[in-house]
Amino acid sequence: MTEILRATGLTKVFGSGATEVRAVDDVALTISAGEMVLIMGPSGSGKTTLLTILGGLLRPTSGSVIMDGVDITRLSESELAPVRRQKVGFVFQTFNLWESLSVVENVELVLNMAGKHGRAAKDRARQLLEERGLSRQLRSRTRDLSGGEKQRVSIARALANEPRVLLADEPTANLDSKHGRDVMELLHSISRTGDRAVIVVSHDQRIREIADRVLWLEDGKLKEIGQMVRDPVCGHAVALDAAVQLAYEGHTYYFCSRGCRSEFEAAPAQFIQAAAERVRAEAVPAS
Amino acid sequence: MVPVARRNLFVEKGRFAISVLGVAFAVLLILIVVALYRGWSRTGAVFEQLPGQLWVVQQGTSDPFHSASLLTPEQLQRTADVPGVETVVPVLQRQMTFTVNGGEEQARLMALKIPLSFPLEPELRRQFLPSAGQVVIDTTFSRQSGLDKGDSVQINGVDLTVADVRSPGGDVFSEFAFVSFADAERIFGVGDVVTYGMVVLAPGSDTAAAKAAIEQSTGQKVYTAEEFAHAVRKMIDQTFIPIILILVAIGFVVGAAVVGLTIYTATIERSRDFGVMKAVGASPGFLYRIVLSQAAMLTGAGFVVGLIASLVTADIAARAVPKFATDFQIADLAAVLAASVIMGVVASFLPVRRIVRIDPAMVFRA
Repeated sequence: MTEILRATGLTKVFGSGATEVRAVDDVALTISAGEMVLIMGPSGSGKTTLLTILGGLLRPTSGSVIMDGVDITRLSESELAPVRRQKVGFVFQTFNLWESLSVVENVELVLNMAGKHGRAAKDRARQLLEERGLSRQLRSRTRDLSGGEKQRVSIARALANEPRVLLADEPTANLDSKHGRDVMELLHSISRTGDRAVIVVSHDQRIREIADRVLWLEDGKLKEIGQMVRDPVCGHAVALDAAVQLAYEGHTYYFCSRGCRSEFEAAPAQFIQAAAERVRAEAVPAS
Repeated sequence: MVPVARRNLFVEKGRFAISVLGVAFAVLLILIVVALYRGWSRTGAVFEQLPGQLWVVQQGTSDPFHSASLLTPEQLQRTADVPGVETVVPVLQRQMTFTVNGGEEQARLMALKIPLSFPLEPELRRQFLPSAGQVVIDTTFSRQSGLDKGDSVQINGVDLTVADVRSPGGDVFSEFAFVSFADAERIFGVGDVVTYGMVVLAPGSDTAAAKAAIEQSTGQKVYTAEEFAHAVRKMIDQTFIPIILILVAIGFVVGAAVVGLTIYTATIERSRDFGVMKAVGASPGFLYRIVLSQAAMLTGAGFVVGLIASLVTADIAARAVPKFATDFQIADLAAVLAASVIMGVVASFLPVRRIVRIDPAMVFRA
């Protein structure tokens, strides 16, 4: 498979001295075309920081990100703009659509940024949206859309200039289970079509089922993980070997932190029931 | 091209409308003041409209409005004898009280003794050479006094009929009214002396040379028509230009502040949108164009509304206050439009700086 992105010795340090935080610590990562890579980890582990560095939005303290043979960490801000425009597509947790524009204009605008105008841009924007089932919402205001529709517009916008890498930050976090599943499938199919890769940062355990690789980021360090387990209190996915354990009535439960374990110990029945309901809900097939 | 600037402005239609009115007010202020200045600067235009190239006045006469002048027939004859002089027209002129319907009005009465054989355009003859017993007034004086064509007026015991109302003179100090020379002699009662001598030069004559020759021959002061008109305009310039400049500067600052605040507020409110645009690869130039387009739309709309409001205001004001003489010149409109564009560019400075500082990584924060 063609290598699209290679990060080496990637480190990002915020603050200094006693307040120093190593959000990303000597991360090495290689992404190839056709891959869907999921990066998981507890809150504050540096997932979003890593994503913004890979997308050329944040400069690392040290290390390099080679995208299509170019080290984007060495580029000036004006040189980075075309990279973000042409090589990278972003999908955000909060969608970040432009509310003053219509649905089709949201996609058309990024085409305009890349120098595509007029009928060609309009047709391309319309095609991208229609392919994602939004043909009836082309003229709608984005504020009138459901969460799932907004995320599909966001994905269409991210794909407008045919990027090599699609970076998605918690793309299912603000969606119900059905729309979350739709978006997951959409991202999966995107990774399979075209010469591109999809990198997803998420807590959503369901994405693990369709990702080609799952990476675990904790305290800024990245590692490939094997089995993932679900914290019954907060619902976050946790690497089995990194989880805090508790044996209760013949079962072993896994937690992302001691705090969650303590909450569980205070009312175990409540969390066991909630976890069971969550599993049942996720088992409902997509319509 | 997606009209981002228009969409951003129209998201808050109320604010856009208020901002347009703010800019329009600034344009109105600037245009009215400039048009008023232009209107008042027509003071003395009558000396340029009349056919004489030179005006002979008594030595020491500073201007037509604030200085008396008396010339004898001998001085006029010496003027006529100067080579290159074709005709010397005796002129009587004086500020007079008009008795109108029992009330009193002030105007500057003027009479010219132009021979019937002199080739004068019919329109000028109608405006400046009424028949005996008639008076021609201008629209400003007509509005001020209530006099109209066919009305009667008495000046120093002489009864006259308004023969015509000519277009406004724009004389801020006093309007001109024209009577026949014979009537003026009766009204003024100054014998055979006159106020000025209007000199018409023979075709091809050198004006400067003729002026110098007349001054030498008569010992009196000679103005060109432009100089004579300018002698009175000079006072307007000295009095009003500093005031006008201050008012125009205030208008400019008000306009720039309105545009600046609107665009700045719109930019701050849309910081996240601009951040997203930066994140997805918009170049700085692309973003600056949006801000400048917003400013251009605002100033453009404000200019059009301000222009219309200025024309309407000037018309209403002139009806209420006859001396509110305005003159909207194309060059001034173009200058105010250019000033509006500069206003928009200046006002965009802060919003553009704000955009430069937006961190595109902010879009990942919920």
